[in-house]
Amino acid sequence: MTKAEVIEVIKKNIVENLDDVELDEIDVTKSMKDYGANSLDIIEVVSCSMRDLDIKIPRSELADIGDIDGLAEKFMQNIGDN
Amino acid sequence: MNKERFTMSDVTNFSLADFHYNDNPDVLSPPEDFESWINNPTVQRAFSFTGQQLLRAPSAETEILSNLDGKSRRMINMTSYNYLGLSTHPEVLQAAKEAVDKYGMSSSGAPLVSGTLDIHVKFAEQLAKLKGKEAAMIFSSGYGGNVGALQGLMRKGDVIVFDEKAHKSLIDGGILSGAKMLFFDHNDMTSLEQMLEKAKGKRTLICIEGVYSMDGDICKLPEIVELSERYNAPIYLDEAHSSLMFGENGGGIGEYFGMEDKIGINYGTLSKSFGGVGGFIATKANLITYLKGYASSWNFSCAPSPPVVAALTKALEVATRDSTLRDQLWSNTRYMKENLEAMGLDLGGTESQVIPIIIGASGERLFTFAEQMQLRGLFLQPIDYPAVPAHARRFRISVSSQFSRKDMDEALNIINDVIAKGLKK
Repeated sequence: MTKAEVIEVIKKNIVENLDDVELDEIDVTKSMKDYGANSLDIIEVVSCSMRDLDIKIPRSELADIGDIDGLAEKFMQNIGDN
Repeated sequence: MNKERFTMSDVTNFSLADFHYNDNPDVLSPPEDFESWINNPTVQRAFSFTGQQLLRAPSAETEILSNLDGKSRRMINMTSYNYLGLSTHPEVLQAAKEAVDKYGMSSSGAPLVSGTLDIHVKFAEQLAKLKGKEAAMIFSSGYGGNVGALQGLMRKGDVIVFDEKAHKSLIDGGILSGAKMLFFDHNDMTSLEQMLEKAKGKRTLICIEGVYSMDGDICKLPEIVELSERYNAPIYLDEAHSSLMFGENGGGIGEYFGMEDKIGINYGTLSKSFGGVGGFIATKANLITYLKGYASSWNFSCAPSPPVVAALTKALEVATRDSTLRDQLWSNTRYMKENLEAMGLDLGGTESQVIPIIIGASGERLFTFAEQMQLRGLFLQPIDYPAVPAHARRFRISVSSQFSRKDMDEALNIINDVIAKGLKK
């Protein structure tokens, strides 16, 4: 799986979980908070994305990730190990 | 889920934050990897602290059946919420016994149909008076109080602005209400104002706590009131850890700041300083009337048990007839804080009887210290992620007016030997 594909999964879940966000407008150098996500929304997007990608990363390891690209990178580290 | 994924990172980096989603095709089974995780010896060690059985009342000294070695042990208890000792106060216990004789064990009905007794009405009146409000309603659980109040009051299209450290009961009430939920950085007024700007034009409620349960610090009520008025967003104040303890008359944080009239809804639990179980809200009479129709955890639960309500009524009387218990609580709190600070321990920003001892990111240290203290006779439970941030695991002392100087000195000696010295190694 490529990083671009991982990003598409994350974007899909952002669109599904947040109000008024269009797929085209998502900039991966931004945080989900910039799109109006609260802490519960972020947990939801991350959990749904991990479920879709069939990976599982402890939430405690995700606390310091600042933007969507960083999240995708973290996911890739786990996918790439297989 | 492939169990082998645990090799990617230490199994013990996972926590209860990670198993909420369940892909197991068997609906009546936990997630497959949950079983692998919870049966791991290191995880089992952490869970050995949960659900330990107290064999006596949760007073300053109690007896606990240890999960560590299966032995019963006398322990100094600095973990229970019996802040004013009311759950074992002789007058309170007597009131409960008399109520059993008069009313029996259960009110046997939901409040609107057949469960309301005269003692429920009288106690609610006393709670409203304590909070300087027109009326109050009593819930049979503290969690149910917050959930019911928010679920009953707020709707889709409204906004609830929470301090990020809001209790789960507030969050769950917000979720059930369907309102949009925004969070401001803890006690950060700039962040609160940003959230209120986002909420502009919508019915908005600000949700804060008087004393934050994991840190022991106080909300910045004067600043929040100023923003509340500027943005026309009333305040819902959760006083679970501050009622009966703050304010000259035990009225809580609102009274403490002289701002009872600035609080829209005042919520409290009855399980902590009151020494019983349940929760309550106090506000305008017409809003209480409305919420009795819509706060589901109130109108669809059996009304609180008669001996509990009678005991609570007496507890409130005992706690507010003078300031003896409050004064003793604060004296004990000062003594504990002074001595803990002298050991160089990190107590965070506590301003209350909730005193965290923050030990850092190491779960290993947390549980080793907890074990050592228990084996020496101090019941001080570890607080682990995700209840607190992973870098700020801690112990949390609940000071009680019941502590004797001897209790405190013995506890302080154990804390110094185990934690203070342990952190220096």
